[in-house]
Amino acid sequence: MRWGDRLRWADRAIRGGPMSSQFRRSALIGAGVATVLTAGTILVACGSGGAGVQKSVLTVADSYIPLPATPGGMAAGYLTVKNTGGAADQLVKVSSPAATSVTMHRSTDSTMQEVDSLDVPAHGTLALDRGGNHLMIMGWEKAPALGDRLELDLTFAKGNTISVQVPVKPLTYRPGS
Amino acid sequence: MPRPTTGTTTAATSSRGTTRRAFGAAALGLAATLALTACGSGGGSTDGAAKVVKETSNSPYQGTVLAKQFEKPELVLDDTSGQPFDLRKQTAGHSTLLFFGYTSCPDVCPTTMGDIGVAMAALSPEEQKKIDVVFVSTDPERDTPKVLRTWLDSMGKNFIGLTGDLNKVKAAAKTLGVMVEDPIVNKDGSVTSSHGAQVLAFMPSDDKAHVLYLSNSSVDTYKHDLPLLAKGVPA
Repeated sequence: MRWGDRLRWADRAIRGGPMSSQFRRSALIGAGVATVLTAGTILVACGSGGAGVQKSVLTVADSYIPLPATPGGMAAGYLTVKNTGGAADQLVKVSSPAATSVTMHRSTDSTMQEVDSLDVPAHGTLALDRGGNHLMIMGWEKAPALGDRLELDLTFAKGNTISVQVPVKPLTYRPGS
Repeated sequence: MPRPTTGTTTAATSSRGTTRRAFGAAALGLAATLALTACGSGGGSTDGAAKVVKETSNSPYQGTVLAKQFEKPELVLDDTSGQPFDLRKQTAGHSTLLFFGYTSCPDVCPTTMGDIGVAMAALSPEEQKKIDVVFVSTDPERDTPKVLRTWLDSMGKNFIGLTGDLNKVKAAAKTLGVMVEDPIVNKDGSVTSSHGAQVLAFMPSDDKAHVLYLSNSSVDTYKHDLPLLAKGVPA
């Protein structure tokens, strides 16, 4: 969650948004940082529903797995998550019946780091693409081959899960090429 | 995304690969430093280091022209047939592309080597023979000659793979401003190797690196530059 969102929600909570009076009271007790942190907690709790609450509305596009350079070896996974909803969300888990391990990583200047979650902004996109955020997929049930479609199950913080059938593309493939 | 900490982001910027750059004398040291500290595996964007080093120049190359040319490092390792390979001697007088990486790297390494492979495949067989593409493993414990060969064959059958003593690899990389650290084995058994992910292009005329490709260089940049490199066109 982005700081700005937290502040917005904090503001909303204090002014009497969709939060319960108990929540509102607790949000008002602390000042400054404490208020913001509390509001952050409220946001998570209220995120998945309730009339009038903003939701994330997610779709997945441009997904592909480049054929691993070593047959049956480690692969990357790339895709774009589009959020047309008014609430931010987070990709928190990816799994696949075709592989024992799918982890989320971010390439940095000289290495890559595993990350626990990736933000999907409200009215925005989360891009997993070459040289940046990506999935690392290991432990294939069966070595991926060109033309295969492999299932990835994406779990988001607000409770959405999206299953996509991801095509295996040539090693050097890029969307639009 | 981490940015270079050099804080020098005042240079003119442009979309990748379309602006050439050269450095005045004063900028040379800066460029070399950036190559060392900031040109890694890239974060997949045109921010950070790429912007800092881009200025206009008259070079025919789209890659980053180095004002400080690097010597080809002294490096003898095993090639993918398990034979000793002397980088300096065996690539002497050849245009050479040099990259440090490891095979259990899912994103940046296959993307970079794959892009070079696509650009090489677009050359005539004669041109292809003029360029040696050399991949040096930063994870020699796992990257045996056989593992390297299988991996490289997906990108280029003629690509040269070198593996062996990591200390030698680190020392050679250091002379080129390429950072290489000991690989880390993660809890899930995967391996993370930290390595600068820039590609260096050595000229046949003097066996020195004149052009550098940041890890976010596009395949079109390589397609543009490799025919020049094959001809030995000065940068």
